[in-house]
Amino acid sequence: MRIDVNMSKCQNHGQCAISAPGHFWFDEEGRLSYRSEFTRDFLDDVEDAMDACPMQAITVVDDE
Amino acid sequence: MSKLGTPVKLDIASEEFRMNSKEVREARDAHWYAETDWGIAVLSYEDNTHLLHSPYMGQGSAKWPRQHGVSSGQFHEWWSQNLLVLEGDDHHRIRRLVNPAFSRRKVRAMEPKFEELARELIGSWIHRGEVDFASEFASPYATRILCMMLGIDESDWHHIQELASTIGLGLGVHVGDHIASIDAAVNELTVYAEGLITEREAAPTDDLLGTLLGANREDDRSLSRQELVNIVILLIFAGIDTTRHQLSLSIDSFQKQPDQWDKLARHPYHYAERAVEEALRVNPIGRWVTREATESFQHRERWIEEGTTVHLYTLTGGTDPAEFNNPCDIDLDAERSPHFAFGGGVHHCLGHFVARTDIGVALAALAGRITNVRVGADTDWLPDSGNTGASYMPITFERRNSVE
Repeated sequence: MRIDVNMSKCQNHGQCAISAPGHFWFDEEGRLSYRSEFTRDFLDDVEDAMDACPMQAITVVDDE
Repeated sequence: MSKLGTPVKLDIASEEFRMNSKEVREARDAHWYAETDWGIAVLSYEDNTHLLHSPYMGQGSAKWPRQHGVSSGQFHEWWSQNLLVLEGDDHHRIRRLVNPAFSRRKVRAMEPKFEELARELIGSWIHRGEVDFASEFASPYATRILCMMLGIDESDWHHIQELASTIGLGLGVHVGDHIASIDAAVNELTVYAEGLITEREAAPTDDLLGTLLGANREDDRSLSRQELVNIVILLIFAGIDTTRHQLSLSIDSFQKQPDQWDKLARHPYHYAERAVEEALRVNPIGRWVTREATESFQHRERWIEEGTTVHLYTLTGGTDPAEFNNPCDIDLDAERSPHFAFGGGVHHCLGHFVARTDIGVALAALAGRITNVRVGADTDWLPDSGNTGASYMPITFERRNSVE
């Protein structure tokens, strides 16, 4: 499964990093980074991150 | 962007002070910030959005009661443990558990109920051609929605709103004068919240409180009972006065632009979201977002010492001509940069989807039913600082007959 973040919408609020800290985090400059590949085991956390994003910039792609 | 002037001093405690004034616009033209008696006021859009996400800034409200002479009691206890002021792991654990209850999907499912309530309230006064919008729409609408979400009997709305406003005094400069009644309100809401939680435990529901009660991951990170009580009080404290005042401010902005109001009436589903965003940009209830420097740092030419209070000015940044065309006008068709009326970062407003949705539903319903809205000159505005709004807002209007 894959995470896609629309970085032109992203405002670095970091709610995703609270919901799914293993998949979203801030780099040293305070910019959002994320790991795009993930396994179904983490789907709940990643969906919480998608829902929690104030800008609704995150989509989850099921390409399995 | 470099500005040649020097920072001016703004007297924000003065009764005459207005955010949307020549004085503040000139201060923004002169410099990216102004000095105030309560720290730095950041004025430009660019600097506001930068500092909103600065790693050197934390929320600045934790010390508020203590700074104003309140260092014990129920309000102090609750305040020091609520999500607004917690930081780090404590904050993240609770926020992670409560966020799903406030998702856009969950809120959208409530839209028909919001619409029904808006129609009921409008129907109760539309024949009169005039109404106190604050007490006959904004207050019952905002409070009854919160009651709906928490499963509180809606007929209790008036009392719940009074308790919310009393606790709201805790963030005013006169908190010390009101502390006995504020403590009593926290106490009463604690008992109330415990009752609601006990009821839901016995008979589970799928409403907001039910979702919060179910916020148990199968590990040791679930919400404790005390944390649940604290959240319920936070929702009543933060979810009522904000929404009701934002409704009044939105009407006040739209009455100045009847063409945009009519456009919303013609295409409510297309423009409701934009209407809310534009109203929040040009006339937000929260006139500033409070931050505090968690360590000393350099921003442009200014060295900001650790502990400095930094107010991010929402209206001033949101109407900065360096960022927006026709900055003070609502333009439902314009592409706008994001405002920061809901704050930002890890403390971004928890209930923003609720506010965005219920205000959008209300504005669309109102635009569809009334036109030629005029706000009375005798409106009783709160001070134009911190959180603002109207406690009394008489409006006159005509019934809209048809929408082309």
